Amino acid sequence: MTTEATADHDEHGEHGGDPEHPHADHPKWLQHHWDTPAQQFDAAKLGMWAFLGQELLFFSGLFVAYAIYRTWFGEAFAAGSHELNRTMGAANTCVLLFSSLTAALGVRSSQLGKKNETTIWIVLTIGCAFAFLVVKYFEYQAKFHHGLLPGTFFGTPRDMLTFEPLVGAHSPAAELPNHTNVFFSLYFIMTGLHALHVIIGIGIWIWILKRNLRGDFSKRYFTPVDITALYWHLVDLVWIYLFPMMYLIDYVPPGHRG
Amino acid sequence: MAAITTDQHGHGGHGDPNVDYLHVSKGIWSWIYTLDHKRIGILYLVSVITFFIVAGLAALLVRIELFTPGRTIVDPDTYNRLFTLHGVVMVFLFIIPAIPASLGNFVLPMMLGAKDVAFPRLNLLSYYIYLLGSCFAIYSLISGAVDTGWTFYTPYSTTTNGAVIAMVLGAFIAGFSSILTGVNFITTIHKLRAPGLTWSRLPLFLWAIYATSILQVLATPVLAITLLLLMLERTFGIGIFDPHKGGDPVLFQHFFWFYSHPAVYIMILPGMGIINELISTFSHRKIMGYRAVFISSLALALFSFLVWAHHMFTSGMSEYANMVFSALTFLVAIPSGVKVFNWTGTLYKASIWAASPMLYALAFLFQFCIGGLTGLFLGMLATDIHLHDTYFVVAHFHYVMVGSTVFAFWGGLHYWWPKITGKMYDEGTAKKVFWIVFVGYNGVFLPQFVLGSRGMPRRYYDYLPQFEFLHKVSTMFSWVLAVGLFWMLFMFIQSLRNGKKAPRNPWNSAGYEWGTPTPPPLENFTSPPTFTRGPYDYHLATDAEIAED
Amino acid sequence: MSDAHDHDHDHDHDEDGYGKDEVHAHIGSYKQYGAVFMALLAFTLLTVAVASVHLGNANLAVAVIIASLKAALVCTFFMHLKDDNKFNSLILIAAVTFIGVFFALTLNDVSYREKLDTQSGNRIYLESGDKAPGSWDNPIKKEEKKEGEAAPQASTSASAAPSASHAP
Repeated sequence: MTTEATADHDEHGEHGGDPEHPHADHPKWLQHHWDTPAQQFDAAKLGMWAFLGQELLFFSGLFVAYAIYRTWFGEAFAAGSHELNRTMGAANTCVLLFSSLTAALGVRSSQLGKKNETTIWIVLTIGCAFAFLVVKYFEYQAKFHHGLLPGTFFGTPRDMLTFEPLVGAHSPAAELPNHTNVFFSLYFIMTGLHALHVIIGIGIWIWILKRNLRGDFSKRYFTPVDITALYWHLVDLVWIYLFPMMYLIDYVPPGHRG
Repeated sequence: MAAITTDQHGHGGHGDPNVDYLHVSKGIWSWIYTLDHKRIGILYLVSVITFFIVAGLAALLVRIELFTPGRTIVDPDTYNRLFTLHGVVMVFLFIIPAIPASLGNFVLPMMLGAKDVAFPRLNLLSYYIYLLGSCFAIYSLISGAVDTGWTFYTPYSTTTNGAVIAMVLGAFIAGFSSILTGVNFITTIHKLRAPGLTWSRLPLFLWAIYATSILQVLATPVLAITLLLLMLERTFGIGIFDPHKGGDPVLFQHFFWFYSHPAVYIMILPGMGIINELISTFSHRKIMGYRAVFISSLALALFSFLVWAHHMFTSGMSEYANMVFSALTFLVAIPSGVKVFNWTGTLYKASIWAASPMLYALAFLFQFCIGGLTGLFLGMLATDIHLHDTYFVVAHFHYVMVGSTVFAFWGGLHYWWPKITGKMYDEGTAKKVFWIVFVGYNGVFLPQFVLGSRGMPRRYYDYLPQFEFLHKVSTMFSWVLAVGLFWMLFMFIQSLRNGKKAPRNPWNSAGYEWGTPTPPPLENFTSPPTFTRGPYDYHLATDAEIAED
Repeated sequence: MSDAHDHDHDHDHDEDGYGKDEVHAHIGSYKQYGAVFMALLAFTLLTVAVASVHLGNANLAVAVIIASLKAALVCTFFMHLKDDNKFNSLILIAAVTFIGVFFALTLNDVSYREKLDTQSGNRIYLESGDKAPGSWDNPIKKEEKKEGEAAPQASTSASAAPSASHAP
């Protein structure tokens, strides 16, 4: 990811030295190898899309593994999916969709040069991201307490923070079909990697918030907000696919379960 | 202030054409914090050459061990670690970054008429990410190393002892360097072309870099996820690749090769790009079939995504998949053939100047034909069943990776050396070095085709007595190659110390990068250029442009 | 196309003359973004609803289709692909295409394992169990073949065939 603004003040006396007309030569956010702001902006967007392309390929491997193992172990995947909390998953989906909206509106207000409105939208986006992580925390905790863990740890209930086995706790693992551990391995890796991207996103949004408050952005220069929002939308896109694939396999509504 | 290093204070500043980029700022920090693509290219060059030497020494040790059957100098476990070291370091720390990140970084903006790449800070970050990855690889080497082969196949890699995680983490991190470089180059080629530089005037080296960058961006992340899954499997036993837990080890191979096949095109495409430049300049002629060449570069990039499982014909894949991949592999040979045809056509009845860079280009043509054609034996399902995992494969890939890509790298290094350093190397020495390297190289690898087709398996420490003679031949020629390469290094160091000052355009080339002073100033051009002809249009170039200075 | 185009009206007569090179952002309206968001929520509801209808294998296909519609909405409107340089869309399409190739060819392998006997030298006609030309002398009759049992392998390759992996 790239950033556009440079030092707070222009060190070169002979370029754009008059503070009243800082854009006499090059405004300070326009890097010297670019001729025009439009060129720099288009390049930033193009570069960001190339980066998003690679992020998509990064997650794709996990989706391929998912497809293969779901084909081979359909029953185990359905059983594993039933163990997940659909309400929390759906809530998280709505939270992320809403955060995508607030991010897009944040870009919009930044494009209009409205610093205070932008601040509000960014704060809301960060808030949604935290909400997502909180829900995830509780989801993971439930899995730990039931011993529904990846790989060799499957079957032993554990405390999430200390990782010590929980004495006396019962794990449904024994009643689940063979190979359900593969489902949970994929579940933790995919949602974990996604959560890592959410955390990184929060970090970047906080930095953008700081810069916005500092007054770095304007109608002419809002690129960092725009490309951060692009990253954030990607995080949302991955979850849009993760939610039905993890939570809604062979869904049996309450009241119909045998 | 992207193109300026941090200790710039106005004098010798970014507009001054009288100071070249090497002298515009001094001191170690001006290199450590540089944002100048030319200095970053040199940083990469020094690093990749260092790793080439490390991995090359490992190869020499491997060949010494193979001089006799049974134990020669090391025990089997060490031998496994040596060839793995050779493979991992050569692939991830040398050949993938070598041409794009060193020569490419240096030359790309100049060939576009630009002042720098699109994202100079990202460029520097890419370099430091690469160094960080290499630190993990070095740590792995000194804390037990790895004996899995550079392909890290499961379940061996998930269960063997050794510093697998450190090595894999090193490759994982270095992958991000590759991705970010790709992002940077694609954006640069799209957005920083000078006026008059239409897509149909883009130098073919840049078309090659462009195609390579597409592969770097789209294929490398799959390696990243593969290595991540490997690390998780090793640490947490997640079971994705473990048959005991319902996993599939062949899936690892699918994942691994989905990247690693495009990776070999990441290696060869820039090499082919350099050959375009060399053949055109030293034939004093435009490349025959410009459009065919750039379309074949893009086609090669596209098709390379379709053929990965031709590395897996004997792994237990379904027959149906085997057939599909074999058929697709024949498709991918076509663009390469188109290029060889065009290069040969360019040479036909041309006024050829067999200067040292051109010698490497001509050797490339010879060796790429061998490498490419032997690839067809391996792409054909029926013959691959017998040749897989033999020395035939080893010889094939060394012909395309070393005989083609690395020869192109050396050719490019000779070619652009004056532009980079402002000095000439000794041409007489360079020619002698070339012949030693050429004879040494072919002597090492030609016998290996025979070894392989007679049944010598790869990665084997011990072997049957009937293979001993050819192994000895191969090993002795490796010493010849080593002598040649050390002499080349020495020659370049001598050039730095007391080489003749280079003229602006020592090769009388019409290429755009030769329009800048040698060595170039910080922002490459004395004034922003406008292009009115193609880079190979010798019939349109003025005498002043083609003259030496 | 959106009704509220807040173009930067300064760009024709900016005092520093940079006007025509300024960034031209197409600014969407609250209405447009809001409508897209409601559509996304509706699709989410639909996904959950359809998931409770048992369509067998089609469940996954339907879920992916609906998810893709949501993704298309996010990309086109929230990510501004509609108004952007066409090349950015091409990057997305290229990435999705290669992901598709990855899926298609890997699943092709995985779904056809064991449909044909994969051991070299042990070629049989599946229907009759008779040996095909070039096979070993012990054809495996279909009815005698136990699940998961593999005939002895001569391969020295490092990876194991997956035929044992499905044994319970």
